Amino acid sequence: MLIRILWRSLERRKARILLAVLAVALGAALATALLAISLDITDKMGKELKAFGANIVAAPKDRPLAVEIAGMRYSNGETAYLNESDLPKLKTIFWRNNIVGFAPFLSGAVEVSSSLATQRVLLVGTWFDKDIPVPTAKRQILLPGNAVREVTPDSGTFTTGMKSIASWWHVEGTWINDRSPEQGVLVGRALAQQLQVHVGDPLQVTYQERGYPMTVAGILSTGGVEDHQVLGELATAQKIFDLPGKVERVQISALVKPDDALALRAKRDPKSLPPEDFVTWYCSPYIDAVTFQVEEVLPGSEARPIRQIAEAEGAFLSRIGLTLALVTIIALAVSALGVMATMTATVMERRTEVGLMKALGGQDLQIAVQFMLEATAFGLLGGVLGYAAGLGLAALIGQSVFASSLTFNPLILPITLGIAVAIAVLGSLAPVRQAMQVNPVVTLRGE
Amino acid sequence: MTKKMIEVRQATKEYAGGTRALDGVSLDILQGEWVAIMGPSGSGKTTLLNLLSCLDRPTSGTVGIDGADVTRLAANQMAQFRREKVGLVFQQFHLVPYLTALENVMLAQYFHSMPDADEARHALEEVGLGARLHHLPSHLSGGEQQRVCIARALINQPQVILADEPTGNLDEANEEIVLDLFRNMHAQGHTLVVVTHDPTVSAMADRTIRLEHGRVVEPGEAMTAMPTGAPRVLQQA
Repeated sequence: MLIRILWRSLERRKARILLAVLAVALGAALATALLAISLDITDKMGKELKAFGANIVAAPKDRPLAVEIAGMRYSNGETAYLNESDLPKLKTIFWRNNIVGFAPFLSGAVEVSSSLATQRVLLVGTWFDKDIPVPTAKRQILLPGNAVREVTPDSGTFTTGMKSIASWWHVEGTWINDRSPEQGVLVGRALAQQLQVHVGDPLQVTYQERGYPMTVAGILSTGGVEDHQVLGELATAQKIFDLPGKVERVQISALVKPDDALALRAKRDPKSLPPEDFVTWYCSPYIDAVTFQVEEVLPGSEARPIRQIAEAEGAFLSRIGLTLALVTIIALAVSALGVMATMTATVMERRTEVGLMKALGGQDLQIAVQFMLEATAFGLLGGVLGYAAGLGLAALIGQSVFASSLTFNPLILPITLGIAVAIAVLGSLAPVRQAMQVNPVVTLRGE
Repeated sequence: MTKKMIEVRQATKEYAGGTRALDGVSLDILQGEWVAIMGPSGSGKTTLLNLLSCLDRPTSGTVGIDGADVTRLAANQMAQFRREKVGLVFQQFHLVPYLTALENVMLAQYFHSMPDADEARHALEEVGLGARLHHLPSHLSGGEQQRVCIARALINQPQVILADEPTGNLDEANEEIVLDLFRNMHAQGHTLVVVTHDPTVSAMADRTIRLEHGRVVEPGEAMTAMPTGAPRVLQQA
């Protein structure tokens, strides 16, 4: 009967209900968008951090400031590079087994032409899927306090490159295989759109008036700057920029353990630790210990955690999240007020009905439940509408702000519905109290 | 000897501002009796009916129904008393506009105990609305709406039926139908209290109680009030 009354009452007062439903939908839409964005971004950041392990980037120490203007590189000194031949030593450090992968980079601005367009872009040379020989010589590490650690590297080869350290990269077409000398390149998704090239199309790369014919091996989507770049083999870049055997930085993926008190003490200067503590620190896979060891084997290098960048991004995202949360809270409050206005009007309209229900012996609670059910019904309806609108909004924000499509967490629907019903019920509390105070003697008065 | 169904003692009702709608009313109504309450507007008829239907409490005095003093009941006990002992018939019918005739009757069942569509249908057939079960009030004539209201009042087998001007909004033909239904209720042993202006209605009752200025006018006492339509004191609640 309760449901029957509910259904009839909703069915016969569509216009009024629509207002309340829209009010709820507004709040629910923003809540959905907020949830979708914050959940997805956190998820993506988490995945990125996991995919990187803890990321380390090694670059030449004292790297001079270099600027590129109109394709010419100007710098205030001799540009420093790392040697490609030193890289295999990364597999000889104390925590060599925690180094799950690494890839060098060498980049420069080039002109890329398709049959339809020409663009000035960054050409990045790197390793994609490369076998490198691991040095087999034993290595002794001398530590303070006369401690010695001997390292016996695993013999054989180590396969690494972007394919293993950037697992979220998506290539349409084929990954470049560093084992066969093909002149194929990966073109970032956004750039491919500008150049209107597809997998298999020819491409001309021009650097300092020399042209290099290439083929598009694949279209690369990363959600990052690579979407606007051309990526080729390291050897190709070394040839084009005439820097044989050189790399400008190395990205390293290492498994590390979270910082604890010792790691925090070492942050200032590990050398200032007492010898025993230093040995403990050195022999623990803290990110700083690993970067310390990386610097030991790459002469003239400075290694630092990329985490700092991730943290800066995180701070930016959390600020956006805060703004969205504020907007959502305001929207939810407005929604609740909208529900309140509608419910108040409804209760006023239905005073006689409430009086009648009381005269028929209806308990206050029964009548309250009736109104609350109505509120719940349009809460749910508004929640569903808001959810649909919110997903659209989130997709729009995802595209325009983060330039990536969002994946939607299935948890969002129940949360949104819960919020929508809560708004509807909260907004109805005061009007329903009013309904409780209806005096049947007054509302049913004859004349 | 027939037992007293309603026993009012020195009931007084004052409203804010000092208006005294009832002034020491005492009366007894026996089980199965049909009593008409007459009097000019503002004489306290509706106020008295509100007390009898447990919708309101007297400022002083007692109202006993079926042996219980309802003035001592808490609000939810009064609601319980209403749904179990009393059936109400209104001049304005007061049907829920978005529920069908059948559902309006079932609403009373719902508040009483359990809705039972068959029973509700039977009640509507009894008042001659077997063909109108699924009509909304707006699609029913005034007479039909009043019959739905009567079916609703009877559905829970109340001991007392209280009616406020039940024929006040009806034409003659419908008035006749409704009065027939009242005769049936009376024949079935329901206690009937009907507030009315209409001498034909009161003539059918076993007894007529006259109110004037909130007091019961004893039979033989001179009526000082004027009939309907004359200037009157505006104090009815």
